[in-house]
Amino acid sequence: MEQDLDLKTISNEERVKLIQAQRKKEQYKSSMLSIAGVLGFIIFWQVIAISGLIESKYLSTPIQIVSLFITKLTNPNPDGAVIGVNIISSLTIALSGFGLAIIIGIPLGLFMGWYRGFDSFIRPIFEIIRPIPPVSWIPLTIVWLGIGLKAKALIVFFAAFVPCLINSYAGIRSTSEVLINVAKTCGASNFTIFRKIGIPSSMVLTFAGIKVAIGNAWATLVAAEMLASSSGLGYMILMGRQFGRVDLVILGIVVIGVIGTLISILIGMLENKVLGWRKL
Amino acid sequence: MSMDKKIKLKLENISHSFVVNNEVQDAVSDVSIDVYDNEFLVILGPGRCGKSVLLNIIGGLEKPISGNLYLDGEKLQGSDKRISMVFQKLALMPWKTVMGNVEFGPQLAGVDKETRRKTAQKYIDLVGLTGFEKAYPNQLSGGMKQRVGIARAYANNPEILLMDEPFGQLDAQTRYAMEEEIQRIWQTEKRTIIFVTNNIEEAVYLGDRIILLSECPATVKQIYDVNLPRPRDTIHPEFLRIRKEVSENTDLAL
Amino acid sequence: MGTKTTVMSVQEKREYYLKKVYMVLPVISLSLLLLLWINVSKSSAFPSPKDTWDRLIMLFQKPIKGLNIFGHVWASLVRIFIALAFNWTFGIAFGILIGWNKTCKALFTPLFNAFRAVPPLAWIPLITLWLGTGEFPKILIVIFGSIASIVVNTQAGMSNVEKLYLDVGTIFNASASQKLFQIAIPSALDAIFAGIRTSTSAAWMVVLAAEMLGAKSGVGFLITRGMDSIDMPLVLMSMIAIGIVGALLAIITQFAERLLCPWTKKSN
Repeated sequence: MEQDLDLKTISNEERVKLIQAQRKKEQYKSSMLSIAGVLGFIIFWQVIAISGLIESKYLSTPIQIVSLFITKLTNPNPDGAVIGVNIISSLTIALSGFGLAIIIGIPLGLFMGWYRGFDSFIRPIFEIIRPIPPVSWIPLTIVWLGIGLKAKALIVFFAAFVPCLINSYAGIRSTSEVLINVAKTCGASNFTIFRKIGIPSSMVLTFAGIKVAIGNAWATLVAAEMLASSSGLGYMILMGRQFGRVDLVILGIVVIGVIGTLISILIGMLENKVLGWRKL
Repeated sequence: MSMDKKIKLKLENISHSFVVNNEVQDAVSDVSIDVYDNEFLVILGPGRCGKSVLLNIIGGLEKPISGNLYLDGEKLQGSDKRISMVFQKLALMPWKTVMGNVEFGPQLAGVDKETRRKTAQKYIDLVGLTGFEKAYPNQLSGGMKQRVGIARAYANNPEILLMDEPFGQLDAQTRYAMEEEIQRIWQTEKRTIIFVTNNIEEAVYLGDRIILLSECPATVKQIYDVNLPRPRDTIHPEFLRIRKEVSENTDLAL
Repeated sequence: MGTKTTVMSVQEKREYYLKKVYMVLPVISLSLLLLLWINVSKSSAFPSPKDTWDRLIMLFQKPIKGLNIFGHVWASLVRIFIALAFNWTFGIAFGILIGWNKTCKALFTPLFNAFRAVPPLAWIPLITLWLGTGEFPKILIVIFGSIASIVVNTQAGMSNVEKLYLDVGTIFNASASQKLFQIAIPSALDAIFAGIRTSTSAAWMVVLAAEMLGAKSGVGFLITRGMDSIDMPLVLMSMIAIGIVGALLAIITQFAERLLCPWTKKSN
């Protein structure tokens, strides 16, 4: 620790360097531990799968998964499409349902939070729809729209819509009264205050809602694909199960997880850009 | 005058600094103070001059870069049961009742329930909160919360009480009331108190001695003896004279 | 009433009438919704309110797989209770571990994040491959689907313990374990409860999906049954039941939090 040394005797520059070196060392140690954890897990997985403790029909090795991935880049068996097609199919639906939810949900939430009339009108409808989980809408949407793109996009929309609305509502309601009063004393109209103070104040919570929404969208999409689809990553996993191909199932899970993480990272970066002022 | 008094706590050449944003910032610079037994010592200084750091060092929350602390002649290392603290920011545990908070120190030390309840009750009564034992901190006013903090610090049976601007967050009226209160409490249960403040009037009202610190980094600028009888009259000419003298000597920090 | 309005200022009068309007609006919107429902059901296979109600009654007279609606709801609830019992013990312990101890945090966080990234329902094919379609795999699916939120919330609560409270502990010479159990964990309780609430609603949603993909009881099963036999009133009725139970669970957990943590002030 810093104070083990006789600090009276070292100069200020040396002390700063010492602290910086210590911090680097801690970060290094932390990263090493993380990598060790992940590697350890993968090695453990490989060993268990190879040793035959668990039969190969229940678990494939990491290496097999990777090779399957490479194969599926060009081979459409056994589920009927190369992996690229599945990924694109899933992403398109997820993003369109999600996009729709943002375009409708956020403005609606903002208006509901600001204008009492809106709130009184829409709130009861929303409170009825809200407790019903998106997954349970699936059978109804199948009846309406059959199996396919529209049904899946609608289900994803439901899943992403709710957090967007709730969070933008909470966000704009959390606008500081003080700021509103400042704008009023400057003579701003209600709509101007809404635009210039309410909306920016709501950004933090709105973004939190967006993050939740995309997570929900991606998760619900997988469910929708398992129940109402003939393409996409969820469908691929289902087929894997159908054909007893555990390697396909695990591959599907890994790909879904990786894409989900990538999307979160992207949104995180976007958030840092828009909300960078928070870190100051 | 203070020759025959026993020295309770001795600070010897205390210096401390922090590394902030890759720069070294001095907080305390070669401070030496003798604290006498059972006196009400006030440490007065402008904002952000290192007085809280000094108190944290005495309390054992920070280890100084150089210098030593002696309690009753023995060297102090880190926190000590004999030194207790009342914090500036309200540091009551929100999930504990008033009684729970006050008995926290003895509880940690392993004192049995009956004994510590009695001790806690004694100090709850002392600070004037009888009847509020089962209340939660979020049900209390600012002044009441600080009184719980004082009771909690006392309940650990310390020999020295540190108070870090305890009334800084209170409104003016409550602050005056609490100044009277702390004086009454101290006279009832005499301990050595080291009281940090940035309010000159408060310092002259409460202190037997006032140690005036310079602005950052903190050094001892001057020590004042206040020999007025208690409770002090804030418009007594002698009070005003001392106050003016201290005020003129204080560095102003913007 | 006449005297009252003549005494109010223009501003007050406006607000008085506006308030009345605001009270009427929900009634209007709900009536419109009801009308929409009846209309849609006339022109398509969508069940009407009456059909749905009749179906509910019929379910009492002719139980499906031996259970009426309450039986199925109970079957689903039992599954999530077992899953949550595991989650709240293991999940909270794990969350405390990675929130408090820096080594464990570095070691386990990337793995846990990878686990979190997989949507709960994607685990279903794998788990059914391993364990079939009995009760245990379903409960395991619910555990997978709802453990993340309790761990994350607990970890956040433990990482954000106020330094001030720990300082109080230092002043009173608290040992490290005393600081953990008597200061850190109690101060994280409201975050932990947030995790309990989230994991409960997550569990409710996942159990439905798990049941929809292979079960012989439970509300999710009812939906699939309705879907397979084109029994739309059954589907709609089950959805409504699901919504009601979900809302009740939320209310109960909120109530429990207020009971067990009386010191938290919730600002709504």
